[in-house]
Amino acid sequence: NTSSADTEITLQLKNVSLEKVFQEIESLTSFKVLYNDNQVNYNRKVSVSYVKAPLKGVLTDLFQDTSITFEILDTQIILTRSLPSSIIKDTEAKVQQDISGVVTDTNGMPLPGVSVVEKGTSNGTATDFDGNYSLATQNANAVLVFSSIGFATKEVSVNQSATINVQLVEDSEALDEVVVTALGIKQETRKLGYSVAKVDAEEVNVNRSSNFMNTLQGKVAGVNVSALGTGPGGSSKVRIRGQSSISGTNNPLIVVNGVPIDNTSFGTNIGSSGGSGEPGTSSGGVYSDGGDGFSSINPDDIESMTILKGATGAALYGSRAKDGVIMITTKTRGTGQGIGVNYTLSIANQTPLDFTDYQYEYGQGENGVRPTSANPTSGQWSFGERFQPGMTQILFDGVEVPYEPVYDRIKEFYRNGLDITNSIGLSGNSEKGGFNLSLSNLESKGITPNNEFKRINVGLGASYLLSKNLSFTTNINYSNEENTNPPNVGQQDNTIPVALFNMANSMPLDLLDQKKFDENGNEFVYSRFRNRTNPYFTLSEQFNNIERDRIFGNASLKYNFLPWLFGQVRVGQDYWSRDQEYNGYPTGQASRPPAPEGFVNGTYTQEVRRFRETNVDFLLSADKDFGDDFSLGVNFGGNKMRRQADVYQTNVTDFIIRDLYTVQNGRIKNPNYSFADRSTNSLYGALNLSFKDTYFLSATARNDWFSTLSSENRGILYPSVSASYVFSNALDNMEWLTFGKLRAAYAEVGSDTDVLPYSDALFYNINANLFANSNGQFQPVGAPNTNTLPNPNLRPMRVSETEFGLDLRMFNSRVNLDLSVYRKSTFDQIIPAQISNASGFLSTLINSGENRNQGVEALLTLVPIQNEDIRYDITLNASYNKTKVVSLLTDTPGESIVVGTHAFNGFLYQVVGEEIGQLAGFGYKFDEQGRQIFADDGRPLRSDDIVFFGSALPKWVGGITNSFRYKNFNASFLIDFKLGGKMISGTNFNATRHGLHKMTLEGREGGVIGDGVNQAGQPNTVATPAQTYWEVVRSQQLIEPIVYDSGYWKFRQLNLGYDLTDLVQDSTFFQGLTVSLFANNLFIIKKWVPNIDPDSFGYSSDNVSGLESTGVPTTRSIGLNLNCKF
Amino acid sequence: DKNFDEINTNNVDPTSESVDPIFLLNNAIINTSFSNAQLIYDLGVVQQIISPNSGVLTGANYNQDNRDVTDDHWVKYYENVIKNTGDILGQLQAEDAPDRPNLLQMTRLVQALTFMILTDEYGDIPYSEAGKGVSDQIVLPAYDSQEAIYADLINEVKEATAGLSASAPSENGEVLYSGDIAKWKKFGNSLLLRLGMHISEVNPTLAEQTVSDAFEAGLMESNEDNYVIRHDNNFTNNAGSLLNSTEANNFYMVSTFVDFLSSTNDPRLQSLALRFVGATSGPEQTVEAGVKDAEEQVGMPMGYDNGTIGGVASDLGLASFYDFTQVDRFLVAKQTAPMYIITYSQTQLLLAEAATRGWIGGDAETFYNEGVRAHMQLMASYDESVAIMEEEIDTYLTENPFDTANALEQIGNQYWISCFLNGPEAFANFRRTGFPDLDSNPYPAQDISTEFINRLTYPNSEVATNNENLGAAVSRMGADNLDTNVWWDQ
Repeated sequence: NTSSADTEITLQLKNVSLEKVFQEIESLTSFKVLYNDNQVNYNRKVSVSYVKAPLKGVLTDLFQDTSITFEILDTQIILTRSLPSSIIKDTEAKVQQDISGVVTDTNGMPLPGVSVVEKGTSNGTATDFDGNYSLATQNANAVLVFSSIGFATKEVSVNQSATINVQLVEDSEALDEVVVTALGIKQETRKLGYSVAKVDAEEVNVNRSSNFMNTLQGKVAGVNVSALGTGPGGSSKVRIRGQSSISGTNNPLIVVNGVPIDNTSFGTNIGSSGGSGEPGTSSGGVYSDGGDGFSSINPDDIESMTILKGATGAALYGSRAKDGVIMITTKTRGTGQGIGVNYTLSIANQTPLDFTDYQYEYGQGENGVRPTSANPTSGQWSFGERFQPGMTQILFDGVEVPYEPVYDRIKEFYRNGLDITNSIGLSGNSEKGGFNLSLSNLESKGITPNNEFKRINVGLGASYLLSKNLSFTTNINYSNEENTNPPNVGQQDNTIPVALFNMANSMPLDLLDQKKFDENGNEFVYSRFRNRTNPYFTLSEQFNNIERDRIFGNASLKYNFLPWLFGQVRVGQDYWSRDQEYNGYPTGQASRPPAPEGFVNGTYTQEVRRFRETNVDFLLSADKDFGDDFSLGVNFGGNKMRRQADVYQTNVTDFIIRDLYTVQNGRIKNPNYSFADRSTNSLYGALNLSFKDTYFLSATARNDWFSTLSSENRGILYPSVSASYVFSNALDNMEWLTFGKLRAAYAEVGSDTDVLPYSDALFYNINANLFANSNGQFQPVGAPNTNTLPNPNLRPMRVSETEFGLDLRMFNSRVNLDLSVYRKSTFDQIIPAQISNASGFLSTLINSGENRNQGVEALLTLVPIQNEDIRYDITLNASYNKTKVVSLLTDTPGESIVVGTHAFNGFLYQVVGEEIGQLAGFGYKFDEQGRQIFADDGRPLRSDDIVFFGSALPKWVGGITNSFRYKNFNASFLIDFKLGGKMISGTNFNATRHGLHKMTLEGREGGVIGDGVNQAGQPNTVATPAQTYWEVVRSQQLIEPIVYDSGYWKFRQLNLGYDLTDLVQDSTFFQGLTVSLFANNLFIIKKWVPNIDPDSFGYSSDNVSGLESTGVPTTRSIGLNLNCKF
Repeated sequence: DKNFDEINTNNVDPTSESVDPIFLLNNAIINTSFSNAQLIYDLGVVQQIISPNSGVLTGANYNQDNRDVTDDHWVKYYENVIKNTGDILGQLQAEDAPDRPNLLQMTRLVQALTFMILTDEYGDIPYSEAGKGVSDQIVLPAYDSQEAIYADLINEVKEATAGLSASAPSENGEVLYSGDIAKWKKFGNSLLLRLGMHISEVNPTLAEQTVSDAFEAGLMESNEDNYVIRHDNNFTNNAGSLLNSTEANNFYMVSTFVDFLSSTNDPRLQSLALRFVGATSGPEQTVEAGVKDAEEQVGMPMGYDNGTIGGVASDLGLASFYDFTQVDRFLVAKQTAPMYIITYSQTQLLLAEAATRGWIGGDAETFYNEGVRAHMQLMASYDESVAIMEEEIDTYLTENPFDTANALEQIGNQYWISCFLNGPEAFANFRRTGFPDLDSNPYPAQDISTEFINRLTYPNSEVATNNENLGAAVSRMGADNLDTNVWWDQ
């Protein structure tokens, strides 16, 4: 069944390039055509028309009258230019040499079928199934050319060595792009029946961010990335194809080198109805974002990333992959021979951006009066008098200062941030294996003057060939993260941003700083709103230190039983320990009650968390061709996952010795320990069929067993099937079509991710302090430790997804379109639904509800200009996703549950028949004729019922990248957008009630007369003082005035790069040198919400989406990257 | 997956098997201490304490509906008391023969007290289906009419009190009376008395019967029998915490109350009040600046906001509104101050009223004098330094003798004083009796069309989650606003 020169082929091609003919031959036979680009003019246009003609004859015809000769060796067609006889004579004198070696991929796996050709000759061979080859060179100083589909061709000089081992790197530019799919199996994208996105390492390590995921904003179709505005160590919220589950957690799974790692977010989720399993940091006065699982990854270690968007791609990863998978492959081996060194320096300056557009006509004060005596209390109100030249105000203990606007509070309070990353990589490559060792240090100075994030990463990847058929690979990553003073965000009290953004507009900040303490060293009370702690007091007194050590990695052994059959065993672990200490309420903070006599007030918490996840898996994989047309792949594997986490925490209140923040020094001590343990066992299998390299079919099945569910509901089996058809193979007469494929897929996934361990029963908490009975004897006090009703009968939630796709490459890949449409249903959801608190509980876990995500995502790549010197690329990605709630407990339209409550005012609902994530709250009251109704004193009345303002989730997410390359210079910029969502803006809520919002200017003199009618239906003529009028947003929870469209268009990234390698190549020291300048978040092209950057703050939980609360200002960063290779 | 059951076993947190339900009862008892809605609403309606400030402090000071606060009693009681009592009752009644009858009855009484306060504040409330999240998986409880609730509460309290038995296993671990069954019975009957009196206008027959039953069964006999939460530094008094932290400088005693006490030379004024003479700001309100003398006290008049109160203060010759009299937050309203829920004094005053109405035997004047005396004696429990001497009490009673002709008003006024810092009961009794005879709050921008606030509005969370049941209650009772009268206040 082997191919031979007698193989007959049928070819009908008109005026095509020689290259196209080669491709056809390769696709119709199992031959590979090998040639040197410099020798063969593959662009030469030819026309061929053969029916069942012998291959040898076809080739003879093709190269008639050229200097090219061909030779058929096994399954290879090797083309060479016949040399003039004189040269042949010269070379005949040269000595022959026997060379042998092994060819592997970057993981050290042997590569069979790689062609090895001596450059400039027809002398060649191919590797056997163990990757071994041997070849006798014909010339001295020979150069061997190694090539294989999906890998970059590599040339190696023979020199003196008799053994040459080569590692081939996957070729990302190749038409037949190879991606790492589930279970680490490499597949050519042409074969896949579902959508994947490949992200090049440069996408995350050029325009840098301290959390590398943030740099992907607007870059990948169907992937919505949000930076949360919580400081440099903060979380990144990633949603693939929308929010699938109604409840809070829809994080994708992170898989590093084939093994899942933890992505627990310590983000703030105030107001979420719970159940999301995200620990957050929300006790003892601290509401800061302590980062997530992405923040410990060093972008310089990343070799490639694949995002599996749909359930089909992810089906083999099972339950946790219901929201997609981000697969990261890190470097394990050098690319050249010997030792290579790679150094990267990145520096970025962050400038805080101020989007406030406040009124500066009326200054500090209330009810139209400015402060005129010592110890005024209006500090947070700007409902004072109209600024007039020469006016003064009296602040603090009697300081008289001009009564004039104080502009630029953001710039004055915040500093410029600075991120510096130093990375050095050392890699080696030898006969039997190789390694990559990297060391990286990130120091990120946040814009909040005491906020800093430091990270050290050490990564080691190594592979080794233990015997002919046995290979070993390991990756170990260590990170140490120190997050100092991540700012408090997401609530009204005890945060710098809220206090600063609402500071009266005539409050001099230098005075605020100078007067932060009273004579006792406590906070000087500057406002009757004592909860708005002086931001300078907070800076000076409050601390929050987080340190995390994390080590994750895996080791695998792979054994090739047969050329087409291997087995693999792998063990992976992710372990971290995280120490945190904070004094949420420092001693002397004015919002706190005094301590009993003999103590000082304040709180302090110390906690240690440990987390361990282990994964053990095995895989048996077979891949065999049957005949010319048919190939079959079978994979069978199993996985055992165990995840354990515990927390030791001690909270103390009040201290014996002032300024000694330790648990020993606390008056009331409240220690707590908790533990969670879960396990999932899985078995899975996959079947891949391909026919004529044109039709592909693949099917998978997986069975999971979850420890968190009762024994009756524990196991679940779910399948997936996908198919693709490369129709361009059948359309040879359409020359403009380089490649065309249709794909279709269906998958199901079951999941327990929204079930916390021990959700089946109610547990209790005994108060750390005893309470004295009437006889003075201390007695225990206890209560259930949760506000969520347990549910012992939970079943796994289910996801089913159907997707269709089209992949078109046209005009020699100058116009490419990758289009997917999908429908994803998530049902039997496990939702913490808010219930009546008269039941005693706030929420209950229900196992019901369905929602449907439907969307289209498109990636359009255009190459308008492409020649040797210049290349211009336009990449446009856009996705449209709409998620509708189909049912909750029932499918009655209008049935609703509340999943989140705003820290200010407003709710997030899920409503049957509506889009997911409905923002709601009280609106204005209107009569039947649509006229607004005012109270008898002229204040706006609120609606009787809750009003829905629309979905918080954007429907359109995408970006446009333009990139240019001229010789060694390249430039690109990215514009991104998110459109079609709504937000309830907490910043504008406060700006309104405090008199900073421009809409509060109306009626400062003489009062506001609302346009509408009074309760009797007569036109409203009553004027209400502006402060009273706008107070309704707080006292009546009338939030309609502060609901906005959250959409934006942003000029997100710009970068300019220059490859200086040519300039330094003469020196023996450098092998490569590139420099790039970059800028992030340059400006907002269009937005609809005043006073803030629409993506300045977000909660990591989807239960509180769109409930904006003042976050740390966003920044514009400008930086420099320098990369040297030695 | 053989070890999955083991993996999914929580070995750290106790279960209902291992937690003695008495711990939950203790939690419920401690949490019957009033929430801060009493400072922003109840005590403001009865003109004892107000804040001139707006924002989150908006309430009875402006007669406005501030739903961030009106839900406070609801949230604290359902989530901290009813949750626990419902759990205990579910556990105990699940057993066929409860072997802890006293624990069961105690729990019923604490729950009944809580429901009474809730229905008095809001009208119709979730009652028969409330607190049954765990036991019956009821997540959206229906609202019962107040009439039905009162009828059931009267039976419930009678049954529970009768069921308490000194011969049954004792429950010494509870924190209210340390398991003293006699005291529990006196509390149960005093609660029954209160229930009966609350319906005096709407159903006098049932009221009289209930009051007389309670009287016969035996009521609180001294301050030793009071239902009090003895707050300490770990379990602090809500009012004390608020009045000593964020709102330390924002709440003042109302002139109505100060003037009444001062016009009768009531020694309680000196005990309760503190004025920072000459203070022009919050920071100037220091312990050292505080003056307690009765003649120095100046109450804040009703009806002003932070824009207009300054003018009033200067008209009165005060340095600023910080110069008005506050409740003494260092002694009487400190964080560790006891919170009195039902007292001997209140019980005696109710008996004085019942006797005046002829519902019970006994001498109204005796009850009256004992009620006043008992409250004055209670001052010592706040701090030795504010204790009232017996001779001062005698003097007061001599100077302000019981006046049979004006008995109901006089009793009502004393009940008002006796309920200082017991907002829910002061508010209920004011609505029921109309005493004290207050002028309505003249604040210009009001949400109410009636003279006074008649009830508190339901929580937004109920509108959001339990709207159907809430709607049924509203259609029965009247609109969900501050105007609607509760059933017993028609």
